[in-house]
Amino acid sequence: MPITIETLDDSTCVSIDGELTIYTVAELAGALLPQMGAAPRLMLDLSPVTEMDGAGLQLLAVIQREAENAGTALSVTGQSLAVTQALELCRKAAS
Amino acid sequence: MSINLDQALQTFIVEAHELLQVMEQSLLQLENEPADQDAIGAIFRAAHTIKGSAGLFGLNPVVSFTHIVEDVLDRLRDGSVAVDTALIAVLLKSGDHMLELINVVASRGETLQPAALEREAALREALSTYQAPHSTPDTGVQNTETGAGDTSAEVLWHISLRFGVDVFRNGMDPLSFLRYLETLGQITQVTTLTDTIPVLDSWDPESCYLGFEIDLRSTASHATLNEVFDFVRDDCEVRIEAVDETSHKAVSIGSELVAQAEQGPLTASAQRLPATSEPKNRDGNYVRVNADKLDELINLVGELVIASAGASLLARSCQNDPLQEATSTVSGLVEEILDGALHLRMIPIGDTFNRFRRVVRDISQELGKDIELTISGAETELDKTVVEKIGDPLMHLLRNAMDHGIESADARRAAGKAGKGHLSLNAYHDSGSIVIEIADDGNGLNRERILEKAQERGLVASGAVLSDQEIYNLIFEPGFSTAEAVTNLSGRGVGMDVVKRNITLLRGTVDLDSRPGQGTVVRIRLPLTLAIINGFLVGIDKSTYVIPLDMVQECIELDEHQRQSSCDKGYLDLRGEVLPLVDLRNHFSHEGSAGRRQNVVVVRYAEHKAGLVVDDLLGEFQTVIKPLGKLFGALRGISGSTILGSGAVALILDIPALLNQIVQLEARTTQAPYSPTVVAR
Amino acid sequence: MAKNVLVVDDSSSVRQVVGIALKSAGYDVIEACDGKDALRKLTGQKVHLIISDVNMPNMDGITFVKEVKKLPSYKFTPIIMLTTESQESKKAEGQAAGAKAWVVKPFQPAQMLAAVSKLILP
Repeated sequence: MPITIETLDDSTCVSIDGELTIYTVAELAGALLPQMGAAPRLMLDLSPVTEMDGAGLQLLAVIQREAENAGTALSVTGQSLAVTQALELCRKAAS
Repeated sequence: MSINLDQALQTFIVEAHELLQVMEQSLLQLENEPADQDAIGAIFRAAHTIKGSAGLFGLNPVVSFTHIVEDVLDRLRDGSVAVDTALIAVLLKSGDHMLELINVVASRGETLQPAALEREAALREALSTYQAPHSTPDTGVQNTETGAGDTSAEVLWHISLRFGVDVFRNGMDPLSFLRYLETLGQITQVTTLTDTIPVLDSWDPESCYLGFEIDLRSTASHATLNEVFDFVRDDCEVRIEAVDETSHKAVSIGSELVAQAEQGPLTASAQRLPATSEPKNRDGNYVRVNADKLDELINLVGELVIASAGASLLARSCQNDPLQEATSTVSGLVEEILDGALHLRMIPIGDTFNRFRRVVRDISQELGKDIELTISGAETELDKTVVEKIGDPLMHLLRNAMDHGIESADARRAAGKAGKGHLSLNAYHDSGSIVIEIADDGNGLNRERILEKAQERGLVASGAVLSDQEIYNLIFEPGFSTAEAVTNLSGRGVGMDVVKRNITLLRGTVDLDSRPGQGTVVRIRLPLTLAIINGFLVGIDKSTYVIPLDMVQECIELDEHQRQSSCDKGYLDLRGEVLPLVDLRNHFSHEGSAGRRQNVVVVRYAEHKAGLVVDDLLGEFQTVIKPLGKLFGALRGISGSTILGSGAVALILDIPALLNQIVQLEARTTQAPYSPTVVAR
Repeated sequence: MAKNVLVVDDSSSVRQVVGIALKSAGYDVIEACDGKDALRKLTGQKVHLIISDVNMPNMDGITFVKEVKKLPSYKFTPIIMLTTESQESKKAEGQAAGAKAWVVKPFQPAQMLAAVSKLILP
């Protein structure tokens, strides 16, 4: 599975390895969403992500929303270039 | 964008020629079997592909004419037009015209001559009777230049996007459209809308609920921006507005809200699927390679063979076993490479044969004769150069057979034969050569007239007695055919010397057999390849000669006693067979006397056989033929030279020429009836 | 890492033109001459976008698209259908099968490039 989940004390560390795309979102959502509310803190490591598309973006948005709803503190500990580029593209602020 | 399409254009020209070939074959097939759906499919696809590809290169004259042909073919395919002789005829002519268009417009970049344009007009007229009554003559040329009408001034656009749920599943990525917009201008602001993503229970990760609000500064026109979303328009909301920057108020320019959520029932097409089977996949696993590159490779492999033979020779003299083993492994591999490389040049003769179907059809119609062509051995492979150069001589022989060999239907019936004449083309392998036979069931040659003519021309001494075959083959002699001969011999034999010369240039031979009233067979014998032969090395004195291994039948040791008797007689008793001998030492004027032991190499070519007397037998050797210079052009009995591993030069014996010399010599001296006593079968 | 585009067309000149255009823009191109050949070429390598002709021997474009949509690793891969102006019904059939993008033949290399770049960038 392209995802590893470790729980340390009050933190859950999740690392997504490989694609964060339409081909993987269903599987990733199935593994990730049950973690919401399981621990007070969720650390998301996106540095091994090789590719990200709109479906991946939507999954991240949902995780963010659900974490908030469940009262879990979400933090992204790392992100690859693919993730950075995708996020920049859809978050461009007025310059 | 500057994209150089020259090379692709060459591919298109080659491809178009092949497709037109397929189209012609399939049309002829369709003429025989009007219900053949595969043939119709292949014809349609040929025209369709030519039109589509020609459009890529902007070859409008090709597109425009082919479009009409395709239109008719489409109607043929869906059954609105039926196959008949007139349609086949007009389509065949259309194919010819397409070929002309390709040659003139695509290959030379010129425009058609008035005469060709006239032909085209006539064809368009003829084709139009098969077109649908209301079809407007569409040029088929589209002009959808992307970005046409772009404004030069930069505008701030606001784009609102609401993607449909199936966008991801359809393979579309909203982010890609954003990235594409970036190439059209500068995205100054993006807001991603996620508020429509449903609650977790009803959320499907593979459905799309994203929306974007984008500000784009660009010179692109509204239409160009709108086109960006062509592929998602069906289930997305796209709103594109120019922002009036002075008042910060959006001015709606042709804003559109295309929300076609319900995709109307897709018109179930009653159209039949195109015929999906084709006899063979022509393109599948092939790589197109420039023939020059192939020749270069084969030449290099030839050098490699020589170098490897040299290394083996050196290794042997070193008495170093591991080294010898290594070189022999290398030699083995080199030989395999050589075989492989030579095979690359081999192509089946079939395509050349098939070309003649049309020729036979057209000429027989022209002559008012009913002639059927049968082709066999189409899969027989031979060297590409040979295949290319054999077309003309074959064409000549076929024409001759149709013009003068096969009689008119009435004459045939009067002679008790079927009204329909038969022509056959056959190819097969025979002892290292390929044989091509052109046979007809016509009237045969007139032996007396040929002999008379030949004597008149001084080609045959008046007292000479010749076999029938020898007489028939006189028609290949230069000087036999003259204008007068045309009338007297109903043209048979015209240009036959040219045919023979062309075949000889390919190191081939031609002979002819005829039976009065039953027909004529012309047999062309060609080498498989022109570049390399398997040679058999023989030594005389210190010189080495190469005999093509294919022609070697056996080797016999000649002891001193036998030598005396056979040298005197000039032949050897080979198990009761009379085998003429040629002493190569004398033949090539080597000085010095022969060694105590000598050997005879028995060679055969076609039906001739002889023994060559040599000193030593040196074994087999892969021989790369180096042509002799012009200086040696007149040398008879030698076809080329090669370089041995030792660096020494060896001459390659031209066995057919040598055998011919013997036959002629014997014929002159013996004068026996049906002379070939010297020729053992 | 350049994106791989699979070009499926029985005409080698079309494949060549599309190939030249895409390579000039930085895509990697894999060619196939019909649907069957294309399905073979989809295995063992990652293809990011497929361009397919409709009218081909052995396996036509529509059947090919339907087959691609059955492959777990390619069911979401964008497919551009090559149609001709006389094949409106084919375009609809292709879209129903899952090829939502299309380019109309004859096309200019730039048009093809534009269509591809809307879906993926090199």
